[in-house]
Amino acid sequence: MRADGLLASLDRVGRFVLPGTVLLFFVVLTLAPLRVPYLADALPLLPTLVVFQFSLATPERLPGLLLLAMGVLLDLLLGGPGAPVGVSALGFVLIRAAVVSNRRYLVGVPFLFQWIGFCLLSWGFVALVWACTALWTWTAIDPTQAMMQYAIVIVIYPILGPLLARVRPRDPLNVPELSRGTAQPGETTT
Amino acid sequence: MAIRDDFEVVALQVRTVLQRFALALLVIAAFTAMLIGKADTVLVENARVLALDLASPALEAIARPVAVANRAIADLKEFASLREENARLREENNRLLAWQTAARRLENENDRLRDLAKFREGPEASFITARIVGDSVSAYVRGALLNVGRRVGVKPGQAVLTGEGLAGRIAEVGENSARVLFVTDVNSRLPVQVERTRERAILAGDNSAQLRLTLLQGVAGVQRGDRIVTSGHGGSFPVGIPVGEVVQAGNEGSVRVRPFADFSRLEFVRVVDYGVTGLVAPTSAAPAPPAAPAGQKAR
Repeated sequence: MRADGLLASLDRVGRFVLPGTVLLFFVVLTLAPLRVPYLADALPLLPTLVVFQFSLATPERLPGLLLLAMGVLLDLLLGGPGAPVGVSALGFVLIRAAVVSNRRYLVGVPFLFQWIGFCLLSWGFVALVWACTALWTWTAIDPTQAMMQYAIVIVIYPILGPLLARVRPRDPLNVPELSRGTAQPGETTT
Repeated sequence: MAIRDDFEVVALQVRTVLQRFALALLVIAAFTAMLIGKADTVLVENARVLALDLASPALEAIARPVAVANRAIADLKEFASLREENARLREENNRLLAWQTAARRLENENDRLRDLAKFREGPEASFITARIVGDSVSAYVRGALLNVGRRVGVKPGQAVLTGEGLAGRIAEVGENSARVLFVTDVNSRLPVQVERTRERAILAGDNSAQLRLTLLQGVAGVQRGDRIVTSGHGGSFPVGIPVGEVVQAGNEGSVRVRPFADFSRLEFVRVVDYGVTGLVAPTSAAPAPPAAPAGQKAR
């Protein structure tokens, strides 16, 4: 039985646009002049965290095309003259693909393993952006700063990740198949 | 009916193919975006400016409370060292008063000499005060976003100053926003001179907190503590804007300069139009500014 009141449909729309909105917020936040010593350095990588977390929770609400657009927007906002536009988009799309193809495993495992997964994927992201930027501008860019960002965002993940993951348990069908038992999507107890 | 079935079958096949190659298509799209960015820089520049214009109201809304919070934290820190700060300031004040006397005397003398020599003063500078609404600081860029744009007369290439010295130059200008490229950015090259010896040099950023000085004639004369000012060559900035001071003078060309501007605490800056726009031409065909700059005339 599906409630079709105004509130219910609002709720559905809200859930549907939530991941995209949160991602947009973090993309814009990259430019915010926060002068908090370490947090400010990690801001450019926070969208990566959002992409990872929501790809894990609700990939259907974060379609590839949206990620592409957000990645290009992030590059446009962040990039200085000469920086490649679209490299973050590439990274986002690859992160989503990697998470979705391993989702069956990642959803059911303890948090620590999700963290390790994030560490691996975001390392790939940082390396990709660094390599592309270095190739594109044809300068040897000091990777220390990028690695610093990476280290900080890794530490932030356990704080921010669970907060974003709260969208997951509220959706009844979005539970690991093991804990769902034999129930099928759409099936309800009467 | 059969036609409709055929259509549905084809549609289904197309959808399956699209789903199967979705990732590949997205990756190709991302690469295409990168290639377009490389091939058509004007298009990308316009897209950047549009994105900045769209994001700047949101950023401004974020920037104000953040600035208040930052100031509150700074205030708290200052309370802790109020006594030492006071003593230091009193001492500095004494020193500055002495300098003021010297400056007055020199100014008078200068005026008289100029009268004698019929010296023609350079164009007067006008400035626009801007709030920093965004940091575009990442591992690859050092810059900031301002809340002023073409509408009040900001143009690419203008100097951006803080109270202490040169911060950078305007790189991109939107309708109501502009991006500053700091002198510490890896793309920044600045013709400067050593104030004491008048030796010319190039000051380059490398995304770290300090700048690298490349001298055109050997590094023998440079000492620690030498002030570095703009030289006016290249036609973008006038002579004598303070930029930084030498903190490390090695013999192997590794002269490091600390910029006077404190990039971690910037809140307001001045965008200065000296009326000299030489090498730094606007990248896109920007329309002429509709009105005169809203800033005051500086002396």
